[in-house]
Amino acid sequence: MRLKSVITTILAAALVLGSAVPAAADGEKILKLGWNKDIQTMDVHKTTDNYAIPLSIFDRLLEVQLNDDGSTELVNSIANEYSISDDGLVYSFTLRDDVKFSDGTPLTSADVEATFTRMFTLEDSVQTDFTTCIKGAQDILDGKTDQLEGIQVKDDLNFDIVLETPFAGFLSVLATPTCCIMSKANLEDAGSDFGLVPEKTIGSGAYMVKEWVTNDSMTLVRNPYYWGEPGSADEVHIKVYPEAASMNMAFQTGDIDILDCDFIDAAILESTYKTAYADQIVSVNRLGTYFFMMNTKVEPMQDLKVRKAIQMAIDRQSILDSIFGGAGVLVDGLYPAGSIGFTDENQGWLKYDPEGAKALLAEAGYADGFDLELAADSSASENRMNILQIAQQNLQDVGINAHIESYDESSWLAKRKSGEMSCFTSPWTLDYNDPSNLIDTFFGSPEATKGRSINYEDTDVMARVAAASSIVDEDERLAEYAALEKKIVEEDAAVLPLFSLQHQYVISDRVEHFTPHWAGYSDFNVYGVTMK
Amino acid sequence: MKRVLGRIAGMIPVLLGVTLLIFILLRVVPGDPVSILLGEHYSQETIDRLTRVMDLDKPLIQQFFSYVGNAVRGNLGESYTMKRPVTTLILQAFPSTVKLALMAAAIAWVIGILAGIIAAVRQNKLLDHLFMGMSLAGVSVPIFMTSLFLQYVLSFKLKLFPLTSDGRLISLILPAIALGWNSAGSIARMTRSGLIDVMQQDYIDTAKAKGLTKASVILKHALKNSMLPVVTMMAIQLSSMMSGAVITESIFSIPGIGRLATSAIQNRDMPLLQGTVLFTTIIVIIGNLAADLLYSVLDPRIRRAV
Repeated sequence: MRLKSVITTILAAALVLGSAVPAAADGEKILKLGWNKDIQTMDVHKTTDNYAIPLSIFDRLLEVQLNDDGSTELVNSIANEYSISDDGLVYSFTLRDDVKFSDGTPLTSADVEATFTRMFTLEDSVQTDFTTCIKGAQDILDGKTDQLEGIQVKDDLNFDIVLETPFAGFLSVLATPTCCIMSKANLEDAGSDFGLVPEKTIGSGAYMVKEWVTNDSMTLVRNPYYWGEPGSADEVHIKVYPEAASMNMAFQTGDIDILDCDFIDAAILESTYKTAYADQIVSVNRLGTYFFMMNTKVEPMQDLKVRKAIQMAIDRQSILDSIFGGAGVLVDGLYPAGSIGFTDENQGWLKYDPEGAKALLAEAGYADGFDLELAADSSASENRMNILQIAQQNLQDVGINAHIESYDESSWLAKRKSGEMSCFTSPWTLDYNDPSNLIDTFFGSPEATKGRSINYEDTDVMARVAAASSIVDEDERLAEYAALEKKIVEEDAAVLPLFSLQHQYVISDRVEHFTPHWAGYSDFNVYGVTMK
Repeated sequence: MKRVLGRIAGMIPVLLGVTLLIFILLRVVPGDPVSILLGEHYSQETIDRLTRVMDLDKPLIQQFFSYVGNAVRGNLGESYTMKRPVTTLILQAFPSTVKLALMAAAIAWVIGILAGIIAAVRQNKLLDHLFMGMSLAGVSVPIFMTSLFLQYVLSFKLKLFPLTSDGRLISLILPAIALGWNSAGSIARMTRSGLIDVMQQDYIDTAKAKGLTKASVILKHALKNSMLPVVTMMAIQLSSMMSGAVITESIFSIPGIGRLATSAIQNRDMPLLQGTVLFTTIIVIIGNLAADLLYSVLDPRIRRAV
């Protein structure tokens, strides 16, 4: 009797201890993902942090397709067709007639209008900077109206978007997470719960959120009304692993199907994954450029010769090889390899030449070197600190007394924004696939260049940058961007582009195919994963 | 009861002081939450608008009293990054922390007290040295090392436990051991020294002379009187665990208070950080109050003095 009660107790305890995780049904394809932190909200208008869920549960009018050769192109998504007026101001769209939200209601032009209007009327919207070119957007931001004049609905499936001034990169902007199309009825019904409560966040994407435990996990299931081919995975289980070591072990025990190599130590990638999992590594171009920034207002970097000497002093290939295992390509211009605007002609002008750097420093009157602060963001990846350490050594080799100062993230951002940071390294991953994204952000105005602590002074160049996005002829526009790139990097040595990296993932043997997101950041649409 | 009420009233200035301190600290350090929120995307116009919407353009004194006024009504504001009421986030995270803390405390107390008793009874013998060596390791080895070691050996290699928290109680065993082992070491050492002291008292000799068994002497007479400082430590340890175990929660992916506080610090999420600090301060104060009350329950002299 006593033994029986002991056994009963043990069985009951086992039941209680192990009762919370539902088992997968036979043959059910469950994709398991691990993130280093939770998303903040599914509402893209309120976050710039992580777009993985919005990308999976909402659609955009257009998408960027990543080709096998690493190139990218714009393709239709829920917009079936579009045309652009000759003056580049009016974009006319026709929606697919079979697009439905996950509650079964059809997606219409009214939803597009509601989405773009909300982008500007929401008082804490953080997604206005790339879309203020829409006619009337600035008026809303200025509090003059709450109607967006630039969205003109013709009928349920047809509408125009009218711009204030021509902006050739606008189509690419429409393919970004910023422009996820939301349901008008859902926005009105959900109120402040939109983006936070799964059942109150309706999208037309391939998946919908079934459950979300804040800071812990999320479960996605297929949207039964999705207009395209159903997603390969029946369910997607996402778990937050704040510690890289735990995430690394989780992949090896089968708890994660796709390991983003951004989240693990480079040494582990080399020693473990490139040997034991060599056939399971997926690499894609990351549409981003790593830069070594120089503040042209900080003495003695006002001197062109000093900036050119710094360009020559830093061994970019050595940094790429030693920190990133050579997984990337050196770029000599602003635009990332593989992006629209990148040209082979604007490559090859930057050479590692420490002796030449010393000679230039001597010419500039700094034969004995000078003190130079390299500002590090202590919360950034270890790789960024490693880049600065190698750069520091390279600069010391030519006589520049470079020293690294660490700042916490917000202090680093504030110092950079104030225009007073002397030198630092930072990657820029494209928000939208167009040269205007990068060059406008860095050199589009005196405020922009100050905010990046570059303090570029040539206002003529800045005026040309600002005007380039309005050039309607595509060839002429790209030629102007190439000329500006040459002027800024080669002639004025305003920045030192380092390289464009490959984005690497390790996939489990349960995954047949995986297409990462074109932008190269870690957020991706789970629709791009095919399970075996 | 009067004393309890007095202690509760004493909490108010402490909480106000802590709130003011964290409020000032968060605003004197460089950097602003709007920059963190916007990341790489911003125009000055957007920054100005968000600064206004988040009330960060108001005078500091106005911000402080507005915060305190709302906090008194249970409204700790809305998280800048997670867009939810801070109270909701804390209440969502607290059960995970409580489960972990209770399991860790149970492990610490059972192992610590047993080890302390055995070490005291077997003073200067092999078991004493063994347990005290283990307790020294428990006190001195950092929790992150214990956590990673247990995770690597018992989960990753031997597959006896889930690697991280998955909602089942079994997944909390390793983090509870990692967290509890550290506390068990302190309890074992304190139980041992207390018991050795008491065992040298005259009334223990009297108890032995009455013919009581050794177990009876230890458990009924010596242990109870040696437990006063141990109980204090247990209560403080529990309240400390309840306020979040940052490292253990991170390694084992437990969505508790510690993780919430870490995320708030990283994102300069001022309402969330203020809320978690205020909440954990209340927990610690309650823990100390509970220790005082237990003290008086265990020692009638203290009760009479009160």
